[in-house]
Amino acid sequence: MSEQPIIDLSEPRLVSNWSAATGSWLPAVILLLATIAVWEAAVRIFSISAFVVPAPSEIAQSLVAQWGTLMQATLVTAGEILFGFLVSVVVGIAIALVIVRFDWLGRALYPLVVLFQNVPKVALAPIFILWFGYGLAPKIGLILVIAFFPVTLSMLAGMQSVDRSLLSLMNSVGASPTQILLRIRVPHSLPNLMAGTKIAATLSVIGAIVGEFAGASDGLGYVIQFASTQLDTALVFAALLLVSVLGIAFYYAAEILERIAVPWAPKFSQA
Amino acid sequence: MRIETIRAAGDRPAHIRHDDLISAKGVSVVIARQLILQNIDLSVPKGSFVSLIGPSGCGKSTLLKVLAGLVQPSQGSVSIAGLAPAEAARKRMIGLVFQDANLLPWKNAVDNASMLLGIADRSLSRSDLRARGQEMLDLVGLGDSAHKRPNELSGGMRQRVAIARALALDPAVLLMDEPFGALDAITRDAMGQSLLEIWQRTGKTIVLVTHSIDEAIHLSRHVHVLGIKPGRITESLDIALPYPRDLSVTEDPEFVRLVVQLRTMLRSSHQPGGVS
Repeated sequence: MSEQPIIDLSEPRLVSNWSAATGSWLPAVILLLATIAVWEAAVRIFSISAFVVPAPSEIAQSLVAQWGTLMQATLVTAGEILFGFLVSVVVGIAIALVIVRFDWLGRALYPLVVLFQNVPKVALAPIFILWFGYGLAPKIGLILVIAFFPVTLSMLAGMQSVDRSLLSLMNSVGASPTQILLRIRVPHSLPNLMAGTKIAATLSVIGAIVGEFAGASDGLGYVIQFASTQLDTALVFAALLLVSVLGIAFYYAAEILERIAVPWAPKFSQA
Repeated sequence: MRIETIRAAGDRPAHIRHDDLISAKGVSVVIARQLILQNIDLSVPKGSFVSLIGPSGCGKSTLLKVLAGLVQPSQGSVSIAGLAPAEAARKRMIGLVFQDANLLPWKNAVDNASMLLGIADRSLSRSDLRARGQEMLDLVGLGDSAHKRPNELSGGMRQRVAIARALALDPAVLLMDEPFGALDAITRDAMGQSLLEIWQRTGKTIVLVTHSIDEAIHLSRHVHVLGIKPGRITESLDIALPYPRDLSVTEDPEFVRLVVQLRTMLRSSHQPGGVS
């Protein structure tokens, strides 16, 4: 026989859909700009007090005026998010690995993890302040309890969805459970894990702000609380804007990580 | 039934059995109180190409799993070159190919081809494995796609990598469970032809589970027909067409005659019933 396959049915490559992507952003941008314009107009026309609803222009002024304070608070919060996020991912992966590798321990642990997921974690914030004080530790703890679950769950789903005939193949050559875990289950779970990680990135932002609300002397959550007691609503909105920017930044950082870690995974955006 | 099975042992006198690579005697399989396979006697001569064909639910895949050591028979025994199937598998004597190629999407073709070998023999270095993987890809006609990932390969090419992965173990027997079942007709013909060429080049023993009459006759030396409820070998057929065969064999009057004969056998195998 020839060395060539007799027929070649390789799939055509997907064309870049950059222009399609920018085209799909356009409606969202227009809606956002229109909302800001209506908001500005409504506040001016109806003379709404700045401490109830500040106009976008007032928020922008506050952002510029308090830039130094806000940047410093943003750095503090970003540090908490990053640290808490990393701890959540590491702990979430560890729990998933233990559940899959040690069957008995897994059956003991999994129901407890699910049970714990149903505890309203925001309510834990005051307890964490009580236990760990006002520093970094309670924020990390809070982010951890909020964000580890999607990591664990997504990785478990990935590790348990390995095709049975692939496992048969592995068993037929005498692969050990550890070999199957490390060579098949863990890499197979990476696309799921990355999806869970993106959710964890978003939840980490929430965890940090909740932690700062419960007790802090710095960070964007603290700025929001402090500014609202001063009826400086424009500053509250300015800080909220920065929280959102942080959330988006962490989400896309996780997405970039995904593209680097699992370039072979199917992408949702390439529908 | 026993007489037919012995006849299926092939070109040599029935009483000489020592050339059989695989021999199953009185194999029955009960799963969840259901009799899946009943009293299967099967012998596969060394170096032959044997097909198992039958309607859905006849247990032909289960039979293949019994031969592979993945399913334990409830009764009877299987030996592969004198060993129990699970032991033979550990000694890398069994290569498995399923309908789904089951390639690892994060590995390229050459690493997929050597993946099982790397598990089976930890003493091999990465470069040994690569060399072996490349050799096997060359054999299945994918030598120049070594660095492509599975998502860059067509269904037929992925299945070629799966065959290369099984051959990399240098097994005595290749057990294939509807390996071309998910492919379109043209690719399927081409894959069958390639498999024949690989078989003749390597001298492996091949057991193929299929539901395609044409495929069974085109490829095999012996065809065993399985009936349903319970799964049992109802008839066996020797395919006397000379090798090497190519697709033109399908126009041979003898081929056409065998198709008719096998179709008739299959039709009667659809009737449930026990062994008389």
